[in-house]
Amino acid sequence: MTSFTVNGRPVEIEGQDDKPLLWILREDLGVLGPKYGCGIAECGACRVLVNGVSVPSCMTFASDVAGASVVTVEGLEAPDGTLSAVQQAWIDEQVPQCGFCQPGFMIAATALLAQVPRPTDAEIDGAISNICRCGTYPRIRRAIHRAAGALSAQG
Amino acid sequence: MARLLSRRGFLVTGAALGGTALVAGIAGVGYLATVDVDGLDTFVDGDRAGLNAFVVVHDDGRVVVNVPRAEMGQGIHTGLAMLVAEELDIPFDDRISVVFPTEPLPAYSTWYNVLRVRPEEASGPVVWAGQRVLGLLGFIATGASSSTIALWHPMRVAGASARSMLIAAAAARLGVPVAELDTAGGFVRHAATGRSLSYGELAREAAVLPPPRDPVLKPEAEWRLIGRSQPRVDVPAKVRGAPVFGLDVVLPDMLHAAVRHAPVFGARVLRVDNGAAVRAEAGVVDVAIIDGRQVAVVAASWWRAEQAAARLEIAWTSTAADGADSDEMSARLQAALVSDAPYQNLDEGDVETLLGTGPAGVIEATYEVPFVTHACMEPMNATVIVRADGSAEAWVPSQGPIGVRTGVFRGCNWAGVEPTSVTSKITMNGGAFGRRSDLDVTAQAAFLASRHRGRPVKVIWSREEDIGRGLYRSHAAARMRAALGPTGLPVAYDARVAAQSVIESVAGRNLPFNPGPDGDALSVEGLDKPYYAIPSRRVRSQHVPGHMPIGLWRSNGFSFNTFFAESFIDECALAVEKDPLAYRRGLLQDRPRHLAVLDRVAAMAGWGTEMAPGRGRGIAIEECYLSVVAQVAEVTVAADGEITVDRVFCAIDAGTVVNPDAVVAQIEGGIAFGVTTTLMSAITIADGAVEQSNFHDFPMQRLANAPAVEVAIVESAFSPGGVGEPGVVPVAAAIANAIHSATGRRLRSLPLAVTETIGERRTRSVLPPRAA
Repeated sequence: MTSFTVNGRPVEIEGQDDKPLLWILREDLGVLGPKYGCGIAECGACRVLVNGVSVPSCMTFASDVAGASVVTVEGLEAPDGTLSAVQQAWIDEQVPQCGFCQPGFMIAATALLAQVPRPTDAEIDGAISNICRCGTYPRIRRAIHRAAGALSAQG
Repeated sequence: MARLLSRRGFLVTGAALGGTALVAGIAGVGYLATVDVDGLDTFVDGDRAGLNAFVVVHDDGRVVVNVPRAEMGQGIHTGLAMLVAEELDIPFDDRISVVFPTEPLPAYSTWYNVLRVRPEEASGPVVWAGQRVLGLLGFIATGASSSTIALWHPMRVAGASARSMLIAAAAARLGVPVAELDTAGGFVRHAATGRSLSYGELAREAAVLPPPRDPVLKPEAEWRLIGRSQPRVDVPAKVRGAPVFGLDVVLPDMLHAAVRHAPVFGARVLRVDNGAAVRAEAGVVDVAIIDGRQVAVVAASWWRAEQAAARLEIAWTSTAADGADSDEMSARLQAALVSDAPYQNLDEGDVETLLGTGPAGVIEATYEVPFVTHACMEPMNATVIVRADGSAEAWVPSQGPIGVRTGVFRGCNWAGVEPTSVTSKITMNGGAFGRRSDLDVTAQAAFLASRHRGRPVKVIWSREEDIGRGLYRSHAAARMRAALGPTGLPVAYDARVAAQSVIESVAGRNLPFNPGPDGDALSVEGLDKPYYAIPSRRVRSQHVPGHMPIGLWRSNGFSFNTFFAESFIDECALAVEKDPLAYRRGLLQDRPRHLAVLDRVAAMAGWGTEMAPGRGRGIAIEECYLSVVAQVAEVTVAADGEITVDRVFCAIDAGTVVNPDAVVAQIEGGIAFGVTTTLMSAITIADGAVEQSNFHDFPMQRLANAPAVEVAIVESAFSPGGVGEPGVVPVAAAIANAIHSATGRRLRSLPLAVTETIGERRTRSVLPPRAA
């Protein structure tokens, strides 16, 4: 049995040692925000925060997250429904097109901003390797800068 | 009722089309189509009232707009709802919501895509009959950048009609003439007495009134929404991670299926050596052969099903294509460029003679592009239930219910089941790009659901199945020739393309009839350059049969033909030492719309200003999907040959623009799609099979190599044009032209740089321009 939290909720998983966290989240826990895009940690659509670090959940296993805090896109907003600075910036810049990859981008951006509060374009490009087939990259860069500004204004 | 499309239904209505056209023709009907009034029935149901096929008003004033087009990221739900809101005279806020209607009303038909007449300009018996037949067939799909073009008028009429009915209801309630009433903020107001009634409280009474015959549309001067960017209605849910995609469909008692397709297209399942063993694995419910061609594992979990499918030992039949490889297929393309009897798509003037005499020389070049695929971020999936009573319901991220219904019938019929009804639920599409117009995955889910009656079955293709066993944009090659006149401009232009027909392949999989490959308009689009002032022009095409399944793919023939033609025009310009912009301007002297777009993008990019060594600029233009689009690419080519696209500028005249920010987003996205294809994408074949399988070997653009993009929308008085595909179209030629400007090297094959293998193949197919 492995215990961890998902978006603050304690969960226990048994007998799924070989099943990636992505599919535990989607199939066993009903958490559908992380997406299956490639299954080989290339695209980033499945990214979640594990103790604040962005990881591809398709190549992460229950044993890797024992005792950890797992946060998915659903966990970015506050309990009262207030969107996080990253989510709000994603709306303000109208980032998503199809939107399928965006949970992974917002997770990656959240992790980046926790490490580098005011990243340059080069730092964004270097830190986030997710794939967006719709080509929302220019808006993703703008949204990250906007979120960085909002977060630093909050202090 | 032919709304449920079965083969029989299609044939019956096909006969009806001929009959109706005949009757209408004999009667000499001069019919002016506005909104198709069939299916504009009003209704009152619970707390809501339908005022026509597109507009539903709730008691509390909320408005639901039925948008019968798939939202796949293009923002169409927002743009079309804006048109209703504009005419209904309500604010564009969160009291408006959008649904994809499940009832396939004739009013929702995508008849424009077949008849190619704007609804506001439609007239005559052929259009009248075609509109009705396609409406009865439930021909509803999303594609060809057509949604705004086709629904620009009908959605506004629907809004104006609903408003007119609400005013009439208020007039009756207040006992005042209609002329004394106006509307604002979701209320009908009587200014003289200060009384006002909300839309919500009028809706039920309005719904029983007759719709106006010709509702008056707002003049442009009174538009408050059209042309002013509005936030997308689908974005908040997507940002919260809401389960809006087909992949996210969860139903009680649902089964999950993984599939394996033959490595070589066309092969059939000979046998499954370990079917019983896999069937016996924990959690596995079924191992099934689908249509003799695929093998599915059904389980309680998709991940378990996929693991079990990976253990299947499947023997496939051998096919004539088992030895096919990219070199051999490329050689067949090249041979087709000199075949004896190509299809003649266009022949104006005297091309053959002029090419022989070439007053200022003849330019010739050969180009080639590989197969590519869609790689939608949401893997292919479909969920279907076939109930005990024979009714079927399908949840699919599809481009339209026509494909879903046809797919459900197809799959059920494989299992010997004839559904009594099919309900199509179109979910959000996680990317589509033409891929989700096909019925393949839906048919698989319906077949498996027919074997497990009463339980929903969700089929998901792994990324490996998507990339390696999917549908492809055809490989293609072209031989371009031009005879240059005394001014250096072409006097004769001769374009010849060889490709595998997309129409034939798509029709073969999806339609009960096949128009065949000859003259396939989607293979030659972008080749004829009708706006360039070239007196003699010829376009010919040669279908090259092959075993690869070809699919509709964002911008289809334009994706290669504009690369060919706009690279070639550059070659002509440079052969006579003319600036490529000035040369194109010379060919566009009587085309003010094109000139305005070209000049705008040139100004944005600072065309003509100095660039550092190793850097270059290239330009390209196209008219497509009723829009005119031009781009300038700026590239840097490093000493080791590495190509970086630094910036792409784009100007587009897309006619009247509904939601400008959504247009900009579509162009940004189209450019990313085009840059990826130009520099990175190639599907190659070995031993008959696709060699690529996932994003490690079919790479995508990422942030690190995404160029800066600047988009300008050119002011335009034209009716709306398409924007979903035009952004893709000029990219490849603009980049290739920029690389030539930077290096003096003319690259004539895509991708312009990826692997060594592709590089070698490209080198072989490069022919130097030849001046005769």
